[in-house]
Amino acid sequence: MAEYAIEARDLVYTYEDGTRALDGISFRAETGKITGILGSNGAGKSTLFLNLNGVRTPHSGQVLLDGEPVTFNKQGIQRLRREVGIVFQDPDNQLFSADVYRDISFGAVNLGLPPEEVRRRVEWAMEKTGTAALRDKPTHALSYGQKKRVAIAGVLVMEPRIVILDEPTAGLDPQGVSDIMHLLADIRDQMGISIIVSTHDMDIVPLYCDYTYLLCGGGMKAAGTPEELFSHPEILRENHLRLPRIAHLMEILRDKDGLDTEIWVSTIAQARREIKRMVEQNKESTG
Amino acid sequence: MGTDRYAYASRLRRMDPIAKILFSALVLGICLCCPGIVPGLVTLLLMGLLCVRWGGVPGRVFFRFLGIPLAFLLLGCLTIVIERHAPGTSVLLGIPVGGWVWGISSSGLYRGARIVSKSLGAISAMYFLALNTPMTDVTLGLRRLKVPTLMIELMDLIYRFIFVLWETAADIRTAQDSRLGYSSFRRGISSLGSLSSMVFLRAWNKADAIYSALESRGYTGSLDTLAGNYQSGKLCYMLAPAVGCAQLLCCWLEVHCFG
Repeated sequence: MAEYAIEARDLVYTYEDGTRALDGISFRAETGKITGILGSNGAGKSTLFLNLNGVRTPHSGQVLLDGEPVTFNKQGIQRLRREVGIVFQDPDNQLFSADVYRDISFGAVNLGLPPEEVRRRVEWAMEKTGTAALRDKPTHALSYGQKKRVAIAGVLVMEPRIVILDEPTAGLDPQGVSDIMHLLADIRDQMGISIIVSTHDMDIVPLYCDYTYLLCGGGMKAAGTPEELFSHPEILRENHLRLPRIAHLMEILRDKDGLDTEIWVSTIAQARREIKRMVEQNKESTG
Repeated sequence: MGTDRYAYASRLRRMDPIAKILFSALVLGICLCCPGIVPGLVTLLLMGLLCVRWGGVPGRVFFRFLGIPLAFLLLGCLTIVIERHAPGTSVLLGIPVGGWVWGISSSGLYRGARIVSKSLGAISAMYFLALNTPMTDVTLGLRRLKVPTLMIELMDLIYRFIFVLWETAADIRTAQDSRLGYSSFRRGISSLGSLSSMVFLRAWNKADAIYSALESRGYTGSLDTLAGNYQSGKLCYMLAPAVGCAQLLCCWLEVHCFG
């Protein structure tokens, strides 16, 4: 297995109206990791994803799957669609059937699998995503979060090696956000599926992403682990993003109050450790 | 919304849709072909009982659904029952208007009753299908009965996106309403106009997005899916001749004993 599940090199994509949505993008997603793509609205995230899945063909540049360049012919595109699953932002755009079971089965049927295998995979995907209890409900009776899960099941059923999720947490309540992100972490850990998520929910990034890219105006502006990225808050702010709340607090404590905080601290757990460390240090120096 | 809510709760939901389609079609066919009043009423009774007792549809729900077409039916029958007669014909009820008698004759009344009873019978046969089978199962059954795929896929997609567009339209309407878009008749008309064009545009964009989503899941021109497992429709196949015979027997009795 290659180190990088999918890689893009200098991708360029221009829409019919002349908008250059992707302007020489390069990035790579490590195998078995969650790669976050941060970007404000209109940064080109969705276009990039459609290019990675072969729904749109890049005008120049390369997509590499497992280190091998993909040719955008019929076979190459089919392979991309088989190996790379996309969960779209609005589940209503993805769920085309009024029957949950049938919608989930769609991708597996398209792979030309025998019916027993399709059934096995549908059951498995429903169990993984916790949607088994929804099988007897019509799609239009589901809540937004439930639809999102069914959409994920409909992609898992193809047993892709890479799953791309466009804004998976948008429109969900806090519980829903943490449920979905836990589900993604499970998918990564138990199935070894490489995951790419786009988001501008900065607070979940340090919790769930192993590596992050900052996308703006159709190009990658920065890359690194969340800690590395949060060490340069000015780049985030230039690109209409912000630090996670905790990191912002730490920044203020450092800059305004002169406390000796580490620059990358951005989760509650990290902040707790950091504060305890400072308290201990304080005790030692005074006592 | 509509019959679907009850279909998903029905005890016969998991039964093979083909059995239910064929059963309803047979009962419907016989009901339409039988002359007289009694077969229609017997069909109504039997199918109503099956719906309520076997399918578990609440009785008042069945009656409420029956009430919807009944209003149209009765209005339509008025024009059949009330006729113009030559003066001197025996009528049950009539008023002379300009040299003719307008009113109800016994043969007209009989004709009206026959139409009402036949329609109710036919509707109850259709309700048996609609109240016990979700739409997606009906289309799947039709697909297996070799109805052209294009039609079936259109039915499936239209059915699904009725709800999506309905929600879109409802959201836009609420948004307009909250900004006084419907405060007067004139404003209401203009708001409704922009609502319609918005829904059309949204539908257009949605179609694009759906196409992309389908393609990314390996769509190559046909929406093939696999349905959950169905229970056998044996009971339905056994009931079909019984109900059919009851209908025909009633028809025969009516013709020979009262005809």
